Amino acid sequence: MAQTQTQRPCSSVLDSLGEEIVRIVAPVSICMFLVVILVSILNTDSSLFVASMSMVTIAYNETTSDSTWDKFLGALLNSLAFVVLVTFATFVLVLLFYFRCTRFLKLYMAFSTFIVLLFLGGEVSIFLIQKFSTPIDCITFFLVLCNFAVVGVLTVFISKMAILVTQGYLVVVGILVAYSFTMLPEWTTWALLVAMALYDLAAVLLPIGPLRILVELAISRDEEIPALVYEARPVKHGSLDPREVAQRRLWRERRVQSLNANNSVLAHGPNNAESHSDSGANAGDNWDGANLVRENASLNSNLNADSSGGSYGYGNLVSVEEGWLRVQETDSDLSAPLMDRGMNVQLGRGEDTVSIDNLMLEGIGLASSGSIKLGLGDFIFYSVLVGRAAMYDYMTVYACYLAIIAGLGITLMLLAFYQKALPALPVSVGMGVLFYFLTRLLLEVFVVQCSLNLLLF
Amino acid sequence: MEASQGNHPNPNPNPNRNNSVASSVPVWPTIDGPLGLSEEESVGYARRFYKFGFALLPLLWAVNCFYFWPALRHSHSFPRIRPYVVGSAIGFAVFATLLSSWALTFAIGGERLFGPVWDQLVMYNLADRLGLTGWS
Repeated sequence: MAQTQTQRPCSSVLDSLGEEIVRIVAPVSICMFLVVILVSILNTDSSLFVASMSMVTIAYNETTSDSTWDKFLGALLNSLAFVVLVTFATFVLVLLFYFRCTRFLKLYMAFSTFIVLLFLGGEVSIFLIQKFSTPIDCITFFLVLCNFAVVGVLTVFISKMAILVTQGYLVVVGILVAYSFTMLPEWTTWALLVAMALYDLAAVLLPIGPLRILVELAISRDEEIPALVYEARPVKHGSLDPREVAQRRLWRERRVQSLNANNSVLAHGPNNAESHSDSGANAGDNWDGANLVRENASLNSNLNADSSGGSYGYGNLVSVEEGWLRVQETDSDLSAPLMDRGMNVQLGRGEDTVSIDNLMLEGIGLASSGSIKLGLGDFIFYSVLVGRAAMYDYMTVYACYLAIIAGLGITLMLLAFYQKALPALPVSVGMGVLFYFLTRLLLEVFVVQCSLNLLLF
Repeated sequence: MEASQGNHPNPNPNPNRNNSVASSVPVWPTIDGPLGLSEEESVGYARRFYKFGFALLPLLWAVNCFYFWPALRHSHSFPRIRPYVVGSAIGFAVFATLLSSWALTFAIGGERLFGPVWDQLVMYNLADRLGLTGWS
């Protein structure tokens, strides 16, 4: 399938590789860090929020007086119910995407972002205000909150917003949802994490998995899935004319010839391109150099139709200058392997149930500009894991953080190796859960005993 | 993108045009550089951000200034975009001064200045009264 050419000197491979990994690990770390801080500051009583998560605790409501076996069983039931809900929501999403209701999906995405930013953001801010007794008045508070929420919705809606602003808002949404998930009862949280990791594995890799169907639909149609995805900034190499070239990665597709212009498997693997079926409103994750839009507008059709790789596009792709490729027009390129998943979260009081379908995205893939994309659902579940670990002790936080980052690194390597969309949850969450229980059961005893005997501090 | 040289003696060379080779003039109007918008698209964006900011959205003005920072920073660049960005900057500055002066007066003045109204306006009391954090 892929031929990788080893032209790149070692130092630049490490530079680009390290830079790309850092650009995806940094926001994940920031998200986890802020959730840990929130959890540590706001030691709110868990029982207060059970009602808010009643969608998740639908099968069983954990109370402290139940026996261990009851809690365990209840947690399993809860997580099972949640996974069933999520599967159902994802299939609805696939259906909507199949019938090309992209506009509706985009609107729904914006609506759910608005709800999360306004209500969850407001709740968390009010908790913080109450905790620190900040003498802020309601007029200022509501003005600032509404501003924040509206601008956040605009960043989701508008395709070409400032990259930093979009990334910032996605991280904030991840933080808010992850914080509300940490309010779940403890056993339910752990069971939920494991269940979601298994679901992710199944949904992405099995042929009947909804996410796999979604991705294949998107690829076959060369459309982009409208969902919330964090896209890292593409890494630039050298000082080339920015107008002219940009780093491209080549996806290997069954229908098209594979063209690889780089040696490093991770950094410059397959090229992944996306097409706009609609106008720019749907191109949430793409960027086009404007000049290139005009230049290559006529060549788009060639790229898809010709599967033997003889079109102009491939000629350009082959012309590499130290690993640089000419920028291809993003229209009608190969589509992005995005994972998509809906998830239902119940907010507020029982009456206003907002199912944030399409809000969270899970899985990891490569964007058309060659940068790594990570679904927001991954941010959320990593942060939930670390947040829940923070509720026990900071030692578990460190262990789980390291485990998650290691898992993410492994997933990125697998992504480069297999060069198709992969689930980002299983490895990280598996290692995170394992490390949490190992730390809690074994390491803590060891460290405490050592400290007591003045061997370690 | 070439400056006029020798063959065309320009009595009044304008180095501040968008496409000139003068190093201080930016090529891309957005802060994202080549990843951002082109100049034609930017005009539309800047105008829309500016107009929507009047709906009590100073943060949108701030985002506008941030996004088109090269246009703001280098005067005489991007003559079509700059009026909107400068307008947004002025609007945001005015709004921020007003809002912060009100917030600071409220916070520092406290009950001494406002009397019993302060207790009704302050956020944590309001949240308790309305049960915003009850989740019940």
